[in-house]
Amino acid sequence: MTEKNKPILEVKGLKTHFYTKRGVSKAVDGIDFTLKKGETLGIVGESGCGKSMTSLSILRLIPSPPGKIAGGQILFKGKDLVSLPEDEMRKIRGNEISMIFQEPMTSLNPVIPVGEQIAEALRLHQNMGKKEAWTKSIEMLKLVGIPSPDKRAKQEPFQLSGGMRQRVMIAMALACTPEVLIADEPTTALDVTIQAQILSLIKDLQTKLGMGVIMITHDLGVVAETCDSVAVMYAGNIVEHAATEYIFTNPKHPYTLGLINSLPKIHEDQEELQTIEGSVPSPYNMPIGCRFASRCPFEQPICHAKQPELVEQADGSKVRCWMYTDKWTGQVIEKEAVQ
Amino acid sequence: MQTAEKKKVLLEVDHLKQYFPVKTDSVFKPKNYVKAVDDVSFHLYEGETLSIVGESGCGKSTTGRAILRLDEPTDGKVLYSGQNILDFNKKEMRELRGDLQVIFQDPFASLNPRQTVKQILNEAMAIQQVVPKEKRMERMLELLGYVGLPEEALDRYPHEFSGGQRQRIGIARALAVNPKLIICDEAVSALDVSIQAQILNLLKKLQNQFQLTFLFISHDLSVVRHISDRVMVMYLGKVVEIAEKKALFDSPHHPYTKALLSSIPVPNPTFSREKVILKGDVPSPIDPPSGCRFHTRCPFATERCKMEEPALREINKNHYVSCHFAEQLFQ
Repeated sequence: MTEKNKPILEVKGLKTHFYTKRGVSKAVDGIDFTLKKGETLGIVGESGCGKSMTSLSILRLIPSPPGKIAGGQILFKGKDLVSLPEDEMRKIRGNEISMIFQEPMTSLNPVIPVGEQIAEALRLHQNMGKKEAWTKSIEMLKLVGIPSPDKRAKQEPFQLSGGMRQRVMIAMALACTPEVLIADEPTTALDVTIQAQILSLIKDLQTKLGMGVIMITHDLGVVAETCDSVAVMYAGNIVEHAATEYIFTNPKHPYTLGLINSLPKIHEDQEELQTIEGSVPSPYNMPIGCRFASRCPFEQPICHAKQPELVEQADGSKVRCWMYTDKWTGQVIEKEAVQ
Repeated sequence: MQTAEKKKVLLEVDHLKQYFPVKTDSVFKPKNYVKAVDDVSFHLYEGETLSIVGESGCGKSTTGRAILRLDEPTDGKVLYSGQNILDFNKKEMRELRGDLQVIFQDPFASLNPRQTVKQILNEAMAIQQVVPKEKRMERMLELLGYVGLPEEALDRYPHEFSGGQRQRIGIARALAVNPKLIICDEAVSALDVSIQAQILNLLKKLQNQFQLTFLFISHDLSVVRHISDRVMVMYLGKVVEIAEKKALFDSPHHPYTKALLSSIPVPNPTFSREKVILKGDVPSPIDPPSGCRFHTRCPFATERCKMEEPALREINKNHYVSCHFAEQLFQ
């Protein structure tokens, strides 16, 4: 195995459950994926599919109680993060694995100058002195493209625009040169022209620093432009995991197909959009069979009886659907199905 | 901006201005204003969908609110069927609101949590007195049918519904009073894509069924492309371009429109194009740049752009652009 292809993060059978008065909510229910060095993995899905809980689980930031990692392993360079003591975990968090959150206003401390906040991470993790950390934090602000960084470093978050705050978040996340960066909807709160700036910035820095990036988003456009491979999540499961080009040109799971077809296209006219009928099952009461079966246009009796496994296909992509097993007797997705 | 075509103008917005005062450090300093909407004119034909797009703070929602007089505009005229509604008194305005309805972005915040769907719909009809009391029940069931909700929904409260269903309730409420014009302010922005597609289809269906006119305010250009007949692009309180949908998407003439279109991530990895990434942020609307407001971020800006404000002018039929160099830049 070459250095480039070495997996740095392996998630195996991860289960994150929430134990509430209403019962057990299986937010993440047995997911597996691997992130390689320098790779960008996209995790997409609609609200409530468990994509954000997956990222919080990796950093062990699940609100507990009621949440708990109920099973599985998260191997970071061979170490299992699930069983790591809290003080060890604290050394990894923000240092070797960092995260960019969606809303920079709520994740930055509102009363501390932004430069100070970046310097704090450096002093804590890299044992830098006060002066050195401050110089480095200005350097980081410059790296993420903030004009007059030495002036901005002394300002508090409310004095910066949304795009600049997101840049500060990125600067903070990258200050300790992490090996894994988790970006949870990093551009959802931003305008498109600023989104384009931020995405190209993350891409540039990734090439420069060689980190693995997990891009969590609901926007398939962002995925198409930034990710190498994509995991599609539905109701706590990964239903399809494939190279980005396959997801868009040859989606295999009926949910992926439905998702892609329900997007309005920017370059062509359509009279009516295709939709996915029905709604997501309640996380407290998951069906025993395939979780998408009740909304699936191809459903068969077998789909309601038993949940399919995530099975690897000839082209290397993985699908959780009975259609791609020898037990299937119904119709299949036709090649021209993607609009 | 009258054209030879025989389309009837339903709403005309004429030099609309909406300034909001901001606090200054001292009472002796001159008052500052956020010029949220600064001299905007356009018209809306009966039965069409005109979209307003732009980034946050460009004034698109403020324009919508000013038309409904949810905020009192500073200056200008809003002509509805030829009458200036800014001169209307309270009573006239209430009557008018039967014709002008609005669907908001956040169905969680725009429905009263203590009212059942029945009460919500009933209230709208009672205020506008469009349906006699004894026929309201019948009308409510009809409305639920139009927006695709089951009959049982009537006795439930908004929190019992999902986001998409709540948006359907909002649409039913707007339809209850037989409106002519519906302003959709980011009506699908909070929804997941599969639900968003359902609501967009519903809006299109209802428009055909009831000959509705839509003013569709959105930041999402793919949605706008799907639903509109004409599109208006705003930047910092000004209109930069208005054109028919096809013309705007296929041959944008303003550098800002061009940049905006090229910034949208396209869900197709094999699609390649020239990307225009704008530098910097949108300037503050309290102290907008001189001349053309886009000159601080425009890759083609010249001295003239800094000095002289470009007027909105027709460069092709029904295609209006406010840029000094619209003809030269993009052929």
